[in-house]
Amino acid sequence: MKAWEELISSSFYEATARQRAHGLVDAGTFNELGGPNKRLKSPHLPELGEAVSFDDGVVTGVGRIGARPVFVISQEGRFIGGAVGEVGGAKTTAIFQMALRLHDKIAKKYPEDASLRAPAIIYSFETGGVRLHEANAGLLAHAEQMELIQECRGKVPVISLIGSKVGCFGGMGFVSISTDVVVMSELGRIGLTGPEVIEQEMGKKEFDSSDRALIYRTTGGKHKTIMRDCSFLVDDTIGAFRDQVKTLLNMPYEQLKKYRSIGSLKLVQEQLSLVALAAVLQPKDSTDVWAHFGNDNPEGIPDMELEEFCRKAKLRHREVE
Amino acid sequence: MAATSLVGKGRAAISLILDEGTFEENRIGGTVLDAGLGPGAVVGSGRLNGRVVTVIANDAKLRNPRFPVVYAGIIGLEEAYKMAEAVYASIAADDGLPPEKKRPLVLIVDSPGNGPGKIEEIFGMNKATGAYQLALIEARQKGHPVVAMIIGRAISGAFLCHGLQADRILTLSKEYGTMIHVMPLSSIARITKRDIETLETLSKTNPVFASGADYFYKLGGVEEIIEDSANMREAISRHIDEVYAFNSAGRREENGPRGRGALGAKRGGRKKRQQVLALMEQEFALIEDEYL
Repeated sequence: MKAWEELISSSFYEATARQRAHGLVDAGTFNELGGPNKRLKSPHLPELGEAVSFDDGVVTGVGRIGARPVFVISQEGRFIGGAVGEVGGAKTTAIFQMALRLHDKIAKKYPEDASLRAPAIIYSFETGGVRLHEANAGLLAHAEQMELIQECRGKVPVISLIGSKVGCFGGMGFVSISTDVVVMSELGRIGLTGPEVIEQEMGKKEFDSSDRALIYRTTGGKHKTIMRDCSFLVDDTIGAFRDQVKTLLNMPYEQLKKYRSIGSLKLVQEQLSLVALAAVLQPKDSTDVWAHFGNDNPEGIPDMELEEFCRKAKLRHREVE
Repeated sequence: MAATSLVGKGRAAISLILDEGTFEENRIGGTVLDAGLGPGAVVGSGRLNGRVVTVIANDAKLRNPRFPVVYAGIIGLEEAYKMAEAVYASIAADDGLPPEKKRPLVLIVDSPGNGPGKIEEIFGMNKATGAYQLALIEARQKGHPVVAMIIGRAISGAFLCHGLQADRILTLSKEYGTMIHVMPLSSIARITKRDIETLETLSKTNPVFASGADYFYKLGGVEEIIEDSANMREAISRHIDEVYAFNSAGRREENGPRGRGALGAKRGGRKKRQQVLALMEQEFALIEDEYL
């Protein structure tokens, strides 16, 4: 493992799940729970002749950022594309349940300033969703995580970090967008139906999954920032993601709420007005939508540096504040 | 009696489940929903054994004229948000009532998937399905029992969207042509590079990847298999009563996704999950004091 100082200046996109977990929290504070020494491996993969991983493709644990305990879930794309199976799903459920229980204990012990001492969860996604080798268990694990995200609301802030190689697709596309805040890098990608699946179901005319630029225009960090699905677009370093998390954790929970894109009737109605726009606009490409929001040179957006993008890009107007 | 399949027949299922002639489409409490929005999503109110319930279903015969990938019961952007609105309307209708008076929601499940298109991804299909699921969980938190009844297709993302957040999930037996899976075994065979015969043999002892109600039953993914569609009414009512009873006893967590996790261990199909949870909790208990 690299030294912590070296980790925070490393590329988030290239980093392993364990490097991200260690680098996102304060130096030397990460305690891995359910780590490789515990040998929590899939009982199902060997039946299909597949290799196992001693962490089942997700690094889980707890560290600190300042005074606050911060639980970490970090998916490893190098192991079966970061897909979720029974064991990895259970590890993730365990983290949510621990954070909730710790919150309740802290709230009881420090009724005055619980919100600044309360634990938070950061979830670093790198996954295509359900692991098909144990598909049914993976599916059921997704449902548990959605339930727990809703249970955390108002108690434990949950922050999604998306900027890893595999992106964040399938069921994890809605798990990640259901948290309090989404932070991405330009290289991050988020969606429900992955490019290959759209091509397979609807044909190459609907979506050419070999067109990398098209994939980024449709699912990438800049597009999701313009759509306000991503609230903060940061540089591709572990340190940049970490700094954003630190800033967010210094805010009162009430303030974090405004970064949600779904989770109330008002937000559903706001999204429905976007859907009405989609019906009228019938965009051929995200660039049509960017132009509609007032970006006069949408073709130039993919080439912009982060700083220029943040300064110039026109984002969707938010109706709910 | 031969089973008559209800695949693609969401409206027929509504008639079989509700008290005769009680379904009022697009009306929930004081809310009137937009009838033109997401035509394939059928939402409204009715009575079940005299009790007012919200019904959320799909009509597989209707296409969405604005979104061409949405047909045959697919849940697209409009459909998912309309379903979410139906949930929030149910919550609003019973605002201020004690938990035991909150109206139940009955989800009639028959959908092959979410809208798989470019426009859907540009605008965020993930948000639409996420929004509906969060609404359902909020309804459960407030005391509304949510019971899903699978009458046809409960497939992958569509099942997560519309079904898997329920307190209880019931399914018609496989004789009714019900389908519950992420992918058919033929696709899993291709992706895992195993021949289908091997997978069929394996699925006899391990329910974790095979398709069908019986496997989901063993995994705790569905609470009950209903052998005769005439019994759906009784079964849904019974589960609604049980959910009220669990909620008033402070046992809400024993229903819903995590309750089904525990059920999977009890039925022997999903034992590892429970072991992992216990082991990690023990591990954290040793260091928890540092964080208090």
